[in-house]
Amino acid sequence: MNWGFIITNAITLACIYGTLAIGISVTWSSLGLINMAYGFIFALSGYGAWLASVYIAPNPAVVMVAGILTGAAGGLIVCLLAFIPIHDKPNFQLRALIATLAISLVGNQILLWWFGPRAKSLPRLFGNWNADIFGIVVTSDKLGASLSAIVLLTMILLWMRSSRRGLEIRAMMMNPHAASIVGIGVRRTGIYVMALTGSLAGLASVLLAQTYYVAPFSGITPMIKGLSIALVGGLGSIPGAIIGAIMLGVNEALTSSLLGGQYVLITQFLLIIIVLLIRPRGISGILDKAREA
Amino acid sequence: MTDSSAPIWIDPIDSQFPEKPGREAVTNSFLSHQVTWDETTRFTPKMYPVGRLRYYYKWPGHGGRLWSRLRYWPTRRRVLNIHGDYNLKTMRREKTIVDKRPIWWALALAALFTMPLFVPEGFRNTVMSAASVFAIYAAINLCWMLIVGTAGIFSLATYAVVGAAAYGATYLAIMLGLPWWVLPFAGTLIGLVFGVMIALPAMRLDGFYYALLTLGVVELCRVFVVQSRQLGSATGGLYGAPSYLPDGLSQSNRLLFSYYASVLLMIFALFIYRFIDGKRLGRLLRMAQEKKEGFAQACGVDFIRARIMVFLASSAALGFIGGFYAIHFGGASPNLFSFDTLLLSLAMLVIGGIGRAEGAVLGTLIVVFIDRVLIDLGPLRYVLIGTIMLSVALFLRGGLFGIKDQFRTWRDKKKSERRATRAEKGGEMLPEEATEMEDKDQVYFRRFDKMQRDFLKRLVSDAVIAEHQSRPLGQHSEALERLLIYFRRQGQIDKYAILVLEEFKAYRIVALSGHRGTAPRVVEDRNYETPDQAYHALFLRRVQDLLET
Amino acid sequence: MNVSDHGVRPAVLDVKGLSAGWGPMRVIHDLDLTVFAGERIGLVGLNGHGKSTLFQAIAGLTGWQRGSIKLNGEEVGRTRSQGPGRYTHLIVRRGLAFIPQGDEIFHGLTVEEHLDSGAFTKRAWSERGIRKTKILLIFPPLEKLMKTAVGRLSGGERRMVSIGRGLMSDAELFLVDEPSLGLAPKIGKAVVEALMAVELGGSAMVIAEQNVALLEGSVDRIIGMHAGKLKGEASASRAMSAERER
Repeated sequence: MNWGFIITNAITLACIYGTLAIGISVTWSSLGLINMAYGFIFALSGYGAWLASVYIAPNPAVVMVAGILTGAAGGLIVCLLAFIPIHDKPNFQLRALIATLAISLVGNQILLWWFGPRAKSLPRLFGNWNADIFGIVVTSDKLGASLSAIVLLTMILLWMRSSRRGLEIRAMMMNPHAASIVGIGVRRTGIYVMALTGSLAGLASVLLAQTYYVAPFSGITPMIKGLSIALVGGLGSIPGAIIGAIMLGVNEALTSSLLGGQYVLITQFLLIIIVLLIRPRGISGILDKAREA
Repeated sequence: MTDSSAPIWIDPIDSQFPEKPGREAVTNSFLSHQVTWDETTRFTPKMYPVGRLRYYYKWPGHGGRLWSRLRYWPTRRRVLNIHGDYNLKTMRREKTIVDKRPIWWALALAALFTMPLFVPEGFRNTVMSAASVFAIYAAINLCWMLIVGTAGIFSLATYAVVGAAAYGATYLAIMLGLPWWVLPFAGTLIGLVFGVMIALPAMRLDGFYYALLTLGVVELCRVFVVQSRQLGSATGGLYGAPSYLPDGLSQSNRLLFSYYASVLLMIFALFIYRFIDGKRLGRLLRMAQEKKEGFAQACGVDFIRARIMVFLASSAALGFIGGFYAIHFGGASPNLFSFDTLLLSLAMLVIGGIGRAEGAVLGTLIVVFIDRVLIDLGPLRYVLIGTIMLSVALFLRGGLFGIKDQFRTWRDKKKSERRATRAEKGGEMLPEEATEMEDKDQVYFRRFDKMQRDFLKRLVSDAVIAEHQSRPLGQHSEALERLLIYFRRQGQIDKYAILVLEEFKAYRIVALSGHRGTAPRVVEDRNYETPDQAYHALFLRRVQDLLET
Repeated sequence: MNVSDHGVRPAVLDVKGLSAGWGPMRVIHDLDLTVFAGERIGLVGLNGHGKSTLFQAIAGLTGWQRGSIKLNGEEVGRTRSQGPGRYTHLIVRRGLAFIPQGDEIFHGLTVEEHLDSGAFTKRAWSERGIRKTKILLIFPPLEKLMKTAVGRLSGGERRMVSIGRGLMSDAELFLVDEPSLGLAPKIGKAVVEALMAVELGGSAMVIAEQNVALLEGSVDRIIGMHAGKLKGEASASRAMSAERER
């Protein structure tokens, strides 16, 4: 039993899934939109990064930036199609959910039609070396993936804490009606939020493509995982999403090394079901007492 | 004023002195007071030629047969809701079919039953197998519609129930060698057990949290089925269930037989939908709509129990369909649990409109037609389905069958907005004020007064003012006379008057208070030297006030 | 008309022929209102006579509206029949501070962040520190609560935060809807007094209130509202002098 291996795996997975979950959670809480097209954005940005690595340069920075930018563009597409036209119409949440599902259906088929079913692989971004931290051997891609995810997430969270736009987004999360009275444009903020969360999906896509491949339907499983982490953490709560990500990351690493990879989903969903049965509003129900006040 | 075509008024009093020429003054051309009446009573809002009234065809004559109508057992419902009436205008007896939906359903089912006759020979295989798939999927979607629409539980595990029942029934059939007619009932049992399992969390979770949970269940089932050796992970599905088709049928007859069996299954699902949605459970749940659950509970509706009952009943029905699926396709495939199936069937529900049986059937028809008949399009057909789904979600509130309601709501909204924004017809009093006013005569008086002032405003012209200036007292032309009579008739409160400060030297304009003992107030701080000047200044002031109202 | 009294000062808000409502209901009937710079106006009237709807119409939050609303000479009202709130942020950025009835607050933000959220215009954002100290001078109890989440405050403190948020922006027109609603009389009075203490300069303030006694004597004009129309107006000084005579 290699505990070091399990821990590093858990952290890497938690970082990547946490990125996705925070994206989904922020979209939901500020726009009231469950973005089921997140998997499509994920796959799209994977292809964007691959195109950049083939046609521009297989330079890590270029690939990463290309992935993030494509993700932001994907987010914008979803925003323009599924948020802006219907955000003040009746029954918005369900309609937006269905619209994003439709976008994901169409988008994935277009990706399949354009790039073919064969999976693409990205160049290794973080080189091929090992680091030895406190006696635990960490491969470069894991270290790079977790570090870059943590750095970018921290940057985004700090930005949301301190800047004007971040305050706008957080204000929209709390009370969209009051936000418009304060002078926050709902649609404009929607565009920012979707671009931001799209770029988070792009980041996760580039990082996850280090271990998996880029394929037209590669986004669905990560999306379901991100969605379940967001829900376990409690929709709209960033700390909840982080705790959920760590929990599921540990679970995935533990299960795959103790029981075998095919049981990951089973244990994961059992865990989710147990958490949701105890706390119907997710982990944030435990964390935040002032929310409903 | 200097217009040469302006009519000249001759003082009629001067006709008593024919030796002198009469006094003349330029005046307005004649304006009938009818003009303002016509203008204020004219119907100004723009009307559109879209339907005003609901149009019903009136069938002639109703007699005793209307009262001895066919009622089908075990309910006391009539086959068609026909309303008989005596038309007071035409003095005739007439009948109206109030609810035409049964006719449409009968026509659609008749079309389904006769459909095999009209299928072109070349496409026979494709179309017939697609048609049986359509009927089975429609049955599943009807049960799902019960869960999503009637019970309001956003469950995505419908196909998981069907798949579990299909797998379980096939497994039992292989293990125990069950005959084909047992399988649907075995499936019913499995579906019921599965339904109980996934219904328990529904008592605590709601909305998207429950949807995610059921999505997790589907994913669990898929992974389990794909990896379990016993459930045929190697062969891509578990096959080997007995078929319900009798032996010795030709290929085309087999297709025909399975098609009719599937249509019968769909009719069975329609009956279940009707008997749950249209009866006690459905009505209870219609009372406990989203966000009104608390109210329903306060009225004594145990909506959670009703929801769970609906959920369990439709899970059992789904299990039955799962058993049928097994004997129809000879087994089950993991495809039932895939995300794509879920997506496509969600598209079916959404396109037709959530909460209606006809929506589930039509949506299934459209999607299955695109998916199974237009195979030549390749992956493009998913793009087509996705586009339809997207445009339905963006433009329609309740799917294709909600278009009529949506249009009516929109039209009513526009109509009432237009009605609310237009000024009250002619009258000056607002509806709120009019209801509070005790003397209703005031309402009509003010309306008349407003119209009169509108008319008098048009009479004010430079010619009239010049005429008044030339001689404030005495006989005047018709226009000026009308104005002066109106001014004289006003009430005492705030009426202008002339105060003589010093005879023939200083006059001043004041406004009467209208109350005995209270002095008039001074209006302007200016003295006039002659009475005529004062008269004219007062006239100008009144004209000014008239024009300002 | 007393236009001549105000002839020198420019009109901050000029409403002409405004009708507004929700769906089939028409709440504001053909209303005219002019607010001049430096004025503090009390808008009084019973429940359901359209005070709040008038404010919401100015902020573009009603179901539909017709007529002209000029904020600093710029047309912000237009004939509009759908999308309540669609243009609100643009109107707010042109210099409107709307403090709605009840507490439209962001529960999870701290008091400080909440005050910051009032200062979304560029200039206000850069000088938000100075403004915050000014607000604290008006509402001293907030000083200790700066790092507390707004969701944990009491009703009176929330109202202070809500009003302070409105005062943070460099607005030309403050619309305060029912500042004393749902508060204990003493606290309500303190809140209204704090509103009176705000230096207006070139801006103007309209306060809707059911309790006329709270406003009397401290506002420049009091306008009555009845059945969606403005009914009579009195300069407060005149009202005061009438009182004294009696």
